[in-house]
Amino acid sequence: MNLHETRRGSRPIWVVAVIAAVLQLAIPPQISIASGTVNFMVALALVLSLSRDPSSAVYIGFASGLFFDLTSSAPIGLMTLILTVASFVVATSSHGVLGGFTTDSLRLVAIGIVAVNLINGLCLFFMGVQTNFLWALFGHGISSSILDMLAAALMLFFMGSSTTQRGFSSRSRGGRYKTLK
Amino acid sequence: MAKRQKYPSSHLNTKRQSTGLRPLIVFSILSVLILTFYIREGEAGPIHSVRSGIVTVSTPFKMVGSVVATPFNAVGNIFANLTASQETLSDLKDQNAQLTAQVAELSEAQQTAQRLESLLGLQSTYNLQSTAARIIGSSSDAWSQTVTIDKGTLDGLTLGMPVCNAYGVIGQITEVALNSSTVLLINDETSGVSAMVQSSRAQGVLRGQADGTLRLEYVPVDAQVASGDIVITSGIGGVFPKGLPLGTVSSVEKSDNDVYYTIVVRTQATTENNEEVLVITSLTEEQIATDEEVAAANSEDATQTPSDDDSENSSATDDEASDSGQDSEDSETQTDEE
Repeated sequence: MNLHETRRGSRPIWVVAVIAAVLQLAIPPQISIASGTVNFMVALALVLSLSRDPSSAVYIGFASGLFFDLTSSAPIGLMTLILTVASFVVATSSHGVLGGFTTDSLRLVAIGIVAVNLINGLCLFFMGVQTNFLWALFGHGISSSILDMLAAALMLFFMGSSTTQRGFSSRSRGGRYKTLK
Repeated sequence: MAKRQKYPSSHLNTKRQSTGLRPLIVFSILSVLILTFYIREGEAGPIHSVRSGIVTVSTPFKMVGSVVATPFNAVGNIFANLTASQETLSDLKDQNAQLTAQVAELSEAQQTAQRLESLLGLQSTYNLQSTAARIIGSSSDAWSQTVTIDKGTLDGLTLGMPVCNAYGVIGQITEVALNSSTVLLINDETSGVSAMVQSSRAQGVLRGQADGTLRLEYVPVDAQVASGDIVITSGIGGVFPKGLPLGTVSSVEKSDNDVYYTIVVRTQATTENNEEVLVITSLTEEQIATDEEVAAANSEDATQTPSDDDSENSSATDDEASDSGQDSEDSETQTDEE
């Protein structure tokens, strides 16, 4: 019995990552809805962290945050730090078993997105970038969170088929002898 | 000695699952360092330079996004309006009022700039030695067609100087003060300008009429004049530069026994909307009619004079045409003397 864990299909993830990066460059500078802008990098990092071990999630979060910082006018390193920590927390909370367009995944990602945006607003306020505390947190923060959730839901839906069938853990694929040779 | 029973190797994942703490700490510290350097370094620092390079590379994506996202911008405005507070709306209304005033002001400035640009074009085209002035009022009575400009003797203006705008001649200075001058418009009844039809070179005098129209008088019937011909200054008299546009022939009439045409000219230059004008301060040699042209004009008139049935008209023509070379002001503006 040789039950190697099958190598995760990395192609859909790269496809999603590239699409998210292109969208991050093209869409947020142009469209702002109710004082909020969508952040595809937040959505990408948290969605990918659902089905990753914490170590990989940290890399993903760092890379996504750094990409966002470099392509926006925000202080470089702030979103990098926030997404690094947030991805780790999401990956630890999900135990790498979530993913796909499920209620649990959506809930965890939504909480993560709101937390990221609120912390970002808070940090920007204390750094002096934002002057209105409430507006920084609940004006930009909430509306951006809603837009990020929509983006995350789309990513989860798109990646659902590949991530849910990959079966990283025993819970998803069953079988106590899963890793027996 | 009992051998230790060997269980089949299960090859269970014996490696401890990484908790991710180490990379978390490392990358968190790295993030904080980047943030610190970003804040402390200047605009020319390495982190800023990296961002600058990234922005340069990513600009095409943003341009594409701009094209694609333009139709959706209205959606954002709708949401923003729905969530705007009353205070915000009030501020926006005030801002809108201010911007409307600014737009009107800027539109006015733009029109002024266009007029000045046209004047400069005219000045350049005709190589005019001139001074710019602004119309600050028109005649205060209904019987004369004059405007007042904001330049006078302090600016070097003198009596008789011609005035034009971007479309051509509008008149001549008839009164001058220290800081203002009165310009008699060419459509005033007392005004007369030596003119000619551009295409046939037929010469005459352009006079204002009581109804405000212009007539080109003393053009003999054997000359070639047609509706639509352009009338320009002839330069005879040495007051108006030769070749400046005056108007366009709108109708040409001739009765059986007439010696001269009745030519109605539609002026190109109107002063109602022309705030800026050019006062021509001096003429160059080539802008004045040559002796040959004056002689030609005189001879043209002389050939007509013997056949004149109307002695009053002929004498007037003689006076204007033959005197034009000697006394320019008499021939061009002081027509009321005749």
